[in-house]
Amino acid sequence: MSMYILSSDEISQLVTELQASYAVYGPQVEPQTRQVFFDLINDATALDLEAPIPSMPVKEILFPQMERILKYKYDAETQSVEMARQYFEQPKVLFGLRPCDLAGIQALDRFFLGQEFVDDVYLTHRRQCLLISNTCLHPFPQCFCVCTHSGPDADEGFDLDLTKLADGYLVKVGSEKGRALADAHNWTPAKPQQLSEQKAVVDKCIDLFPDMATDNKAWVSRVMNRITTGFIKSETWEYIGDQCLECGACSFVCPTCSCFNIEDAQTECGECERLRTRDSCSFEGYARMAGDHNPRQPVEDRRNKRFFCKLSYSQSKKYLRPGCVGCGRCQWVCPGDIGLPNVVQYIRREITGGEA
Amino acid sequence: MSNCHGNHEHGNCKTTGLCPIVTFPEVVNIDEIRDEIPEVKTFYLSFPNKDVEREFRIRSGQFIMCTVFGAGEFAVSLPPSPENDRFHISVRAVGKVTHALHALKPGDKLGVRGPFGNGFPFDEIKGKNIIYVAGGIGLIPLRSSIVHALQHREDFGRIILLYGARSSKDLMYQPDIKVWQENAGFETFITIDRAEEGWHGETGYVNQLIEKAKVPVDNSVAFVCGPPVMFNSVIGEFLKRGMSEDAIISTLERQMKCGIGKCQHCAVGRTLVCTDGPVYTYRQIKTLGEQI
Repeated sequence: MSMYILSSDEISQLVTELQASYAVYGPQVEPQTRQVFFDLINDATALDLEAPIPSMPVKEILFPQMERILKYKYDAETQSVEMARQYFEQPKVLFGLRPCDLAGIQALDRFFLGQEFVDDVYLTHRRQCLLISNTCLHPFPQCFCVCTHSGPDADEGFDLDLTKLADGYLVKVGSEKGRALADAHNWTPAKPQQLSEQKAVVDKCIDLFPDMATDNKAWVSRVMNRITTGFIKSETWEYIGDQCLECGACSFVCPTCSCFNIEDAQTECGECERLRTRDSCSFEGYARMAGDHNPRQPVEDRRNKRFFCKLSYSQSKKYLRPGCVGCGRCQWVCPGDIGLPNVVQYIRREITGGEA
Repeated sequence: MSNCHGNHEHGNCKTTGLCPIVTFPEVVNIDEIRDEIPEVKTFYLSFPNKDVEREFRIRSGQFIMCTVFGAGEFAVSLPPSPENDRFHISVRAVGKVTHALHALKPGDKLGVRGPFGNGFPFDEIKGKNIIYVAGGIGLIPLRSSIVHALQHREDFGRIILLYGARSSKDLMYQPDIKVWQENAGFETFITIDRAEEGWHGETGYVNQLIEKAKVPVDNSVAFVCGPPVMFNSVIGEFLKRGMSEDAIISTLERQMKCGIGKCQHCAVGRTLVCTDGPVYTYRQIKTLGEQI
């Protein structure tokens, strides 16, 4: 793997340069609220590579909350139809992805592009996309990527990977696209001690994780085993289900949740748009069919479906990793107390008989 | 195994391994509309694009996603036989989109994506007896397989149909049934729930016909489709007679949005009805851990 060392100025130059041919997205801190958003960068100085993980996962750019996939116009008089595929196509750079979000994109890639069918809407977004990841120097509140093998540094899936060291950014090349970018520049090659320095930075970050996260590490795989084999008492699912308000927030902030709904909406000029909107398996109407037959009734049944999706071997086979990337966003947003790390705790408590 | 219809030249198939009709609806014309039973109509369709029509091949038991322009898209099973049959769908008006469909007239256009799903086994069951068990509009998805099997009559042992509906007005495909009843190679048993004036056939529920038809359980497969209550009683009866769980085959119905295994609305157990189904054996259904 080729490695270079870039100064902060060179990083800014790279951003400006990429803006000429790409829409460049990156972490920015909103001045009033101090919230972090991974958004389109208009001014290269707004990019903040030291910002905490963004509130919304970066999947928003590749798999938006709502997007038009088709447009048509039906004329009932002449019984004719005009129809066209229509979605937002633009080359994009995701600059400064946190490793958890990168792992989320890899999971979505394997799901949308690697199964029997290819999802052409996602493919359109993804194929012209450049991924530049950014190693975390310290964990943020709720982070537990050390348990799910998705941080604090990335080891695959990026085009370029950045790590902030004492004297600039260590840049690793991870793909052909990244290689081409490096070849087009006269970047300073990194020295071997800078690679050791990067390793030390990552080790230091791992040491800073709270005990609960590191302590849970082995438990995530034990819980996966339990969930896969189905040896979890229905009381535990009921306890979890009792806390679910069915708001769907966990699905919307999850970097790997990919369920969507499709709806045809009339526009003002007599045209129709087919919209694809994100959906959540926690909603009561998720599986309801016309005629009101709903095969999934109780909330705990729907809850365990979600955790099955995140933490079972059969789902992990689709993603080639656990469905959870340890970003902890579900824990932030859940109005109950059933973010994924807590669910692991509840199941752990069941296994140990309440000891831990 | 992508669901391509063979002609890889016409679209993004080459670059993505995807035939466009999988994700982009193909326009079809409504040639004729027939009233079947109350609330159910049959729509005979044809493709204005003859290239697509030639390449559009189905297997019994598959389904399509059908767009009613301005209303939305719904999943619907395919009743025509894969060979020498008019392309049609039979739909009950239950929700927003299907009501909009019922309001259309001949000459109106629909959008079609597909066909999707695994379909009923055909080659694997050659030489066996086939028992079709249907309740109400459960006959719609089975029709394809019935007509196909009759077109290859010599490949199978006994072919039996056990069909029940609430009343004589609720019997689907009555012209087909008349033809089938006159077919010496096809044993048909038809029942309605309660006796009616002018009805000379059986009365009672479908599961009672199993006894009457002296249904063979060895070297047989049963295709069962109908409301959950009928399904459970029929399965119970078959299992009591020693039929293998692998020989009982049904097709599941779920909310569907994409048809290509991405939207996840049809997830049942560890499978997706759109790509792993909709046809399952009873042994598989038992492990799914969900209602039928």
